[in-house]
Amino acid sequence: MSATPNRRPFDAGRAAYLTLNALLLAFLLLPIAIVLVFALNPTPYISFPPVGVSLRWFEKFFGSAEFMNALWLSLWVASVVLVLSIVIGAACALALSRGNLPGRAALTAFFMSPLMVPAILTGLALFQAYLLSGIGRPVWGLIAAHTLVAVPYVIRTTLAVLHNFDRRIEEAAAVLGASPVRVFFEVTLPLIRPGVFAGGVFAFIVSFDQFPVSLFLVVPKGETLPVVLFNYMKFDLDGAIAAASMVSILLALSVVLVLERLIGLKAYVKL
Amino acid sequence: MTTAARPSPIAWLIAPAGLLFVLFFVLPFAVMTAMSFYSGNPVTNPNAFLTTRHYERFIFDTAGIFHEALWSTLRIGLITTVVSLLIGYPLAHWMARMQSRLGHALVLMAVIAPMLTGIVVRTFAWMTILQDKGVINTTLIQWGLIEKPLPLMYNEFGTIVALVHIYVPFMVLTLTGVIGRIDERLEQAARSLGAGRLRAFVEVTLPLSLPGILAGSLLVFALSISAYVTPSLMGGTDVLTLPMLIAQQVGTSFNPNFAGALGVILLLVSLAIVVAYNRILARLAGGQGMA
Repeated sequence: MSATPNRRPFDAGRAAYLTLNALLLAFLLLPIAIVLVFALNPTPYISFPPVGVSLRWFEKFFGSAEFMNALWLSLWVASVVLVLSIVIGAACALALSRGNLPGRAALTAFFMSPLMVPAILTGLALFQAYLLSGIGRPVWGLIAAHTLVAVPYVIRTTLAVLHNFDRRIEEAAAVLGASPVRVFFEVTLPLIRPGVFAGGVFAFIVSFDQFPVSLFLVVPKGETLPVVLFNYMKFDLDGAIAAASMVSILLALSVVLVLERLIGLKAYVKL
Repeated sequence: MTTAARPSPIAWLIAPAGLLFVLFFVLPFAVMTAMSFYSGNPVTNPNAFLTTRHYERFIFDTAGIFHEALWSTLRIGLITTVVSLLIGYPLAHWMARMQSRLGHALVLMAVIAPMLTGIVVRTFAWMTILQDKGVINTTLIQWGLIEKPLPLMYNEFGTIVALVHIYVPFMVLTLTGVIGRIDERLEQAARSLGAGRLRAFVEVTLPLSLPGILAGSLLVFALSISAYVTPSLMGGTDVLTLPMLIAQQVGTSFNPNFAGALGVILLLVSLAIVVAYNRILARLAGGQGMA
């Protein structure tokens, strides 16, 4: 008979351990909470403690043509990237897992490599390539760049789902007389949909929050939201940035909730 | 059955991704490497010639800033990594050993939520905390603990604090997986044999989690040496890292060839780290298979 771990009324070591971890969690989360405080604080520059609650910074953010153009461009680019990376990434994951390709491990590593190469170098390399080929810096070039760094996430989440599901379901459908095309659309696709979709939402966030890849690829007056925020912050630190940050954070948090509902968080955090 | 070794028609689905990666990943990096060996733009300037002068400029460093930039990139990366490990390990241990599923999910959410918040936004958060009129300085002055604001930002300290915050989730996630796979009974056995809780941890769990420590550290190091936003906003004039130098060469100096050479140098440093990272992960997976 082993004793229960909590036999002592107060365990100092355990208390210290929990306190430490609570502090570390606060370190992770408080900065984000503080942004909310500044977004609602009406003083003209960042000051602490807050003196009241107002929506003036949200008004400034949503009323500024510069911010709004950037927000719409970012949303538009991220939406296109979402669709492109879902299609390209899911197809690639299917080929990797079902295509009997030689050198599968190496290919998978290759398709994951944009995550390992410093993003600012991906931006630099694309900038050089666009410069040399004389195409300038079109929006589709930015979309292609974002898709490149977003596709690995879709491949990863789709592979995770493909890895987990029972192949005999597909085989059973085939044995029962379904054509390969029908097996694909009626069995495989519905089964991998959560993984593809979760990867797509991730792709959206990666594009929407993308800075280093965009830095060299945007043109003046055609900058995405993170680039505009970055340039603004170099000279000004007011509540408009906090309001813009809040909009981004709320977007990200809603995405976390969607992800959790779709696939569970565990499936895609495996690094 | 006989065609098991041959690619099936599904293999063609790899084509769009392959095309995307060749056109927008492999070719651009080849272009960047080629550009770093040219004196100018070889397409528009017929007088551009092959040269190693961009690399010589970095190696001989007559301006006296490039070696310093490389060194501060590596130093900031190293300190960020060590601090992330010290902060990430307790959190990862807590998460890996947590019994309650709900608690586990909540902590996981708390770790991932910052990851889904853009780097620019998180850097902004730290600017509001660490600047002269920021949360910490204002509070300390109001409490009468200091007279003048502490220099918490526009230096290496502020840069590292923000970088740690940004990259610690990667450390936690890598470590949680490894610690979670260590059999808890090993530690219990050590304790039943008379070891204290601390000794059981130091002599059993800690050595067994070493591969995770290495993998997480390499990941955070690779990420933090390529950071651009945080050092350029938090570092002020005090900090100049390799990615900042690259952006300078593209933006203000408009010397894409030298930027390319700096890019190749940064790429080589991070590739070395990635190779080491993959080796460790492979050994980890191999050891896992044997256990």
